[in-house]
Amino acid sequence: MAMQKVEVARQLVSRDSRLSHDEYNFEHFRAKHLLSDMQATLEKRGVPPGAPAPDFELPRVEGAPLRLSELRGKPTLLHFGSFT
Amino acid sequence: MHFVDVVIRQAHPGPAVPAYHSLEQKWHDAWRYQQEESIPWTVLIDDLEGTTHQIYGGLADPTYLIDRDGYVAFYNMWSHVPTLHRAMAALIGRDGRGVVMGGIDSTLHLLPSITAGWRGLRRGLPQSFIDLETSAPTLASGTWLGHRLRPLLAPLALRAKPLPGPVRFGFAVGLVLLAAGIRRMRRIR
Repeated sequence: MAMQKVEVARQLVSRDSRLSHDEYNFEHFRAKHLLSDMQATLEKRGVPPGAPAPDFELPRVEGAPLRLSELRGKPTLLHFGSFT
Repeated sequence: MHFVDVVIRQAHPGPAVPAYHSLEQKWHDAWRYQQEESIPWTVLIDDLEGTTHQIYGGLADPTYLIDRDGYVAFYNMWSHVPTLHRAMAALIGRDGRGVVMGGIDSTLHLLPSITAGWRGLRRGLPQSFIDLETSAPTLASGTWLGHRLRPLLAPLALRAKPLPGPVRFGFAVGLVLLAAGIRRMRRIR
């Protein structure tokens, strides 16, 4: 139960600090984006080791959606990448 | 082991690959990403706001290893294949459960990015190059140079597995000898 509370609190904090559509989808790469990534690295921003991986459902390129929790039972490598 | 890729925002937009304003545009790029990079596993498309990406930290190129029960086993903040290789081996060695290798690697592995990054950067030319070079001088030109030197750098920079102990020792000795040589030359001058 305590772990769940920590998780909920962490996600609420993240929601408050999330970037808007235009901030997230920047038109030009700038030094501030690099600095932001450096700061995030120093702060170790993200889901900490040992915490439950937040569940999500997203569409595949082929169309059918995939829910992360469907993959339980085997380890999963989850990579976030850009086309550019 | 499952492998999943999530397509996020344009990291280096340009005239042919502008920032996303529609999901169709992002979907099209995700399809091209899978085709052009020959990705054999599942590719997912995040929403336009990058909700999932931002919940997972929002970094440019992170990878998580999630254990068989759905807990984070390892967080590679700047994806590095040899490090992930070791972490995957450690996780499989623990029957797919628990935190491995201290749980996190925050090292910025620049050499693989410089050697392989041109593939992404060139899709947004010329804007992507100009933006990166003005934001971080020499990074874009270094990536171009890394691409040109790829045949030379790839065995070291783009290796899939960690370097064997004797090779690492050889590199360390080589670096020490190089440093000693440079110091000696400066003294002679």
